[in-house]
Amino acid sequence: MTRYLLRRLFLMAFVFLALSLLAFSLSYLFPGDIVQNLSGLRQIDDSQRQQLISYYQLDHNILQQYLAFLTRIAHGDWGQSFASQQPLLQEIQLLLPATLELASYALLLSFVIGIPLGIVAAFKPDSFVGKSISAIAMVGYSLPIFWWGLLLIMFFSLALGLLPSAGRIGVLYEIPHSSGFMLYDILLADIDYRSEALYNALQHLLLPTIVLATFPTTVMISFVRDAMLNVWEQNYIKTARAKGLNRGQVLYRHGLRNALLPVIRQIGLQFSTLITLAMLTEVIFSWPGIGRWLIDSIYQRNYPAIQAGLLVISTMVITINMLTEILHAFFNPLARRG
Amino acid sequence: MLLLDIKNLTIELETADGLVRAVDRVSLSLREGETRGLVGESGSGKSLIAKAIVGVLNRRWLVTADRFHWLGKDLLRLTPEQRRQVIGRDIAMIYQEPSRSLDPTAVIGDQLEEAIPDHLLTGPWWRRNALRRKKAIGLLHKVGVRDHQRVLQSYPYQLSEGICQKVMIAMAIAKNPKLLIADEPTTALESTTQAQLFRLLASFNQLKGMSILLISHELESVARYTQKLSVLYCGQLVEAGETSQVLQTPLHPYTDALIKSVPEFQPDLAPKTPLYALPGSIPTLQHVPIGCRLGPRCPNARKECVKTPALERQQSHYFSCHFPLTTKGS
Repeated sequence: MTRYLLRRLFLMAFVFLALSLLAFSLSYLFPGDIVQNLSGLRQIDDSQRQQLISYYQLDHNILQQYLAFLTRIAHGDWGQSFASQQPLLQEIQLLLPATLELASYALLLSFVIGIPLGIVAAFKPDSFVGKSISAIAMVGYSLPIFWWGLLLIMFFSLALGLLPSAGRIGVLYEIPHSSGFMLYDILLADIDYRSEALYNALQHLLLPTIVLATFPTTVMISFVRDAMLNVWEQNYIKTARAKGLNRGQVLYRHGLRNALLPVIRQIGLQFSTLITLAMLTEVIFSWPGIGRWLIDSIYQRNYPAIQAGLLVISTMVITINMLTEILHAFFNPLARRG
Repeated sequence: MLLLDIKNLTIELETADGLVRAVDRVSLSLREGETRGLVGESGSGKSLIAKAIVGVLNRRWLVTADRFHWLGKDLLRLTPEQRRQVIGRDIAMIYQEPSRSLDPTAVIGDQLEEAIPDHLLTGPWWRRNALRRKKAIGLLHKVGVRDHQRVLQSYPYQLSEGICQKVMIAMAIAKNPKLLIADEPTTALESTTQAQLFRLLASFNQLKGMSILLISHELESVARYTQKLSVLYCGQLVEAGETSQVLQTPLHPYTDALIKSVPEFQPDLAPKTPLYALPGSIPTLQHVPIGCRLGPRCPNARKECVKTPALERQQSHYFSCHFPLTTKGS
């Protein structure tokens, strides 16, 4: 296990090296002035320019510039946003929790719904229930989520007026910012309208979570279904049945573990899709997260912001991927071999 | 006492071109303490019969029989739950590929312990786990595994096929079954381990009176370790009887060919003479000949062979052939 971990971490170091090289090269590849792209400052006079050139070591060779870039990233100096002229790292720290909150609830929802439905669909593949689950999964899988999101807004927000269509919480509620995770902040906050705020935040959360969870849920259903059908054909299931265990015991002791192991790995693979979909969802629901911010930055040609967004999102995806791999190896003895 | 009594067992598979009959009216019976061999080429339906007895066939397979009795109870008429209880109590089975028959993600200890039924543990419930572990170690010793500590903590992929098969046998005998079905237990093993396993099975039969249904395509080992023998060809039962009698005076041309193809049974065979074999090869299940399925390959086939021969009997020797071999070698 230790050797496996070391090997994984070694691989991860290379991935991050490649990622930092890419992010570094972006400042040079983006159109415009390098000093502007690096600093994020719009107006630069001559004396300031000289100062920045020596700060970014632009008068030295490319290797030193890269090393200086790495040092700056490590020290938290990520430059400024063209649009707001605010430090980027600070902006990201404000926005990232909103995206993480939305994505994690969606992922959680996709497990809670997807895994049981997948198992049911695997047990009754020919029945009406099994077939309708597969059909729903297929429809959900092919649903374009911007359309699906708009549809839900039109129905629940505009026609029925039940749920809000945009934002994280109503403007009436003032929640002090501590962690950036809305529900957690509300629970921590020392306010007398806590339950109302919580209810309001949950209402705001409901539609985006459903929209974002649609795709991963359907993937989860079909994945669990296929994995379960496959496992149920294996000889060790027959052995377990022949031992005299009943269906529930066989499912619990041998079926679930073997069928759900590949699912752990699936989380890592689905995560990058989830983040991409989160960007769309955030745009539709005006969710103040990093995805919407990144899309805005792309529209505004806000190069420093694009670079920073790339770094953060890629790092997140790679880390989650690696964590799920390690988790998978931890639970699956076969993956640890060799 | 008759343990297993099967008459005209038919196993069919629904395919796009209609029903394919993989096992055609096979009768099989087994007494208490008897060892019976079931031989035939691959694809002759041996494993299907075994799986039908244990009830682990897929839903795609259709199993019908005139009689399918276990200790006087018709298994086909029981509900699946009752059937599982009967089989879980009395019948155990070991498979061809032991390492694939063990859950790859669970340690051997857990898998072995869950095979031990509660009623065999005598003691208060709080000592159950310790008793279970003790019993598991005892079972491993019984099947000839000495370093139980290592094996119990291992995952299947860490053990050799031979050890895995021994673990399978340990799991099978954990509930003291009345019948042990061994479905080609030695195909994946080395020859020394093979002999060990057969001796192990024979000792369980002799010491505990456990009946054994040994399924194999290796005629020599089956001949050595069984009392009764059933020969299958293409899903049809061609001959059955006392092993020694069947081997000495085969009445069916297929059995005869099978025996002649094994050099060990012919000590006076001159070196470098070709072994006897029937012309042609086994037909696929979609294109089996009507009547006796050996028909086109049989040296003695005549016009009558397009009708399926009924199972005939000479004392305890059964055969299904219109023109049985009367004297050896004819």
